[in-house]
Amino acid sequence: MSTQWDVMRELSTMQDRMNRIWGGLYDRGHAANGGHEDVSGHGAWLPPVDIYETAEKEIVIKAEVAGLKRDAIDLTVENNTLTIRGQRPAEEGAANAQFHRSERVFGAFSRSFTLPNTVDASKVKAEYRDGVLTVRLPRREEARPRQITVDVQG
Amino acid sequence: MTMVRWNPGRELASMEIDRLNRMFEEFVGNTRAWTPTVDIYETTDREFVIKAELPEMKREDIHVTFENNVLTLTGERKTDFDADNGTYHRNERFYGKFSRSFTLPATVDGNSINASYKDGVLTVRVPQREEAKPRQIAVGE
Repeated sequence: MSTQWDVMRELSTMQDRMNRIWGGLYDRGHAANGGHEDVSGHGAWLPPVDIYETAEKEIVIKAEVAGLKRDAIDLTVENNTLTIRGQRPAEEGAANAQFHRSERVFGAFSRSFTLPNTVDASKVKAEYRDGVLTVRLPRREEARPRQITVDVQG
Repeated sequence: MTMVRWNPGRELASMEIDRLNRMFEEFVGNTRAWTPTVDIYETTDREFVIKAELPEMKREDIHVTFENNVLTLTGERKTDFDADNGTYHRNERFYGKFSRSFTLPATVDGNSINASYKDGVLTVRVPQREEAKPRQIAVGE
């Protein structure tokens, strides 16, 4: 089956890419916002985030914070809101350097996500490896689908 | 031999054009390629430092080559998302192949390039040859 070429969609994809390339970091979250989480963020930059649900109905949040040290990341859960904060300091040794290309963004960031009430926020687990913070939130026991057998009488 | 004044602006413009070209290739080719962000600076010791943000990659999936004074970073980031059983709520990160190339001055020492990967950042250090470093010349009488 052939699909009709959708000019508008292609253009909007291109615009999204242009925005990203020319520093439209603030538009990123909105452009990719297909989920139901409420999102707010502020700071010098917003780390790109993936959120997905696994087969076990666990919510996984992965944030790209390349160049950060583990202790420069602050993760909190309060009133069903998960907040990732951090600070990317300017490169050591680059203070007196002559820059030929400067695409990376430094400084503070903050991003918040409203958690669905199906997850157990008290069992949140987080790990940091190779510039990615991974947060895992298991599903609440009572939120799991259950099979109920009903005896039909008569 | 004619002397040509080195114009850093022109070099930067050509790099920008490369990037645009690649972007349109991606667009037409409809592949999910990405462009990692890169900083390039020259230290006070006249060493070139290239820093590329490549979070969540395996070292063996990152390739650094240097040929004809062009430094090329290529690689592929794979996702661990199970598309058959999982559901995306938000997808802002890029996966797939990337390639970025940078032309370095002829004064760099291609035999002493050093690359390391830490906290999702690839750092490539390219020193300049001794004879390229500025020298103080004493003025005699």
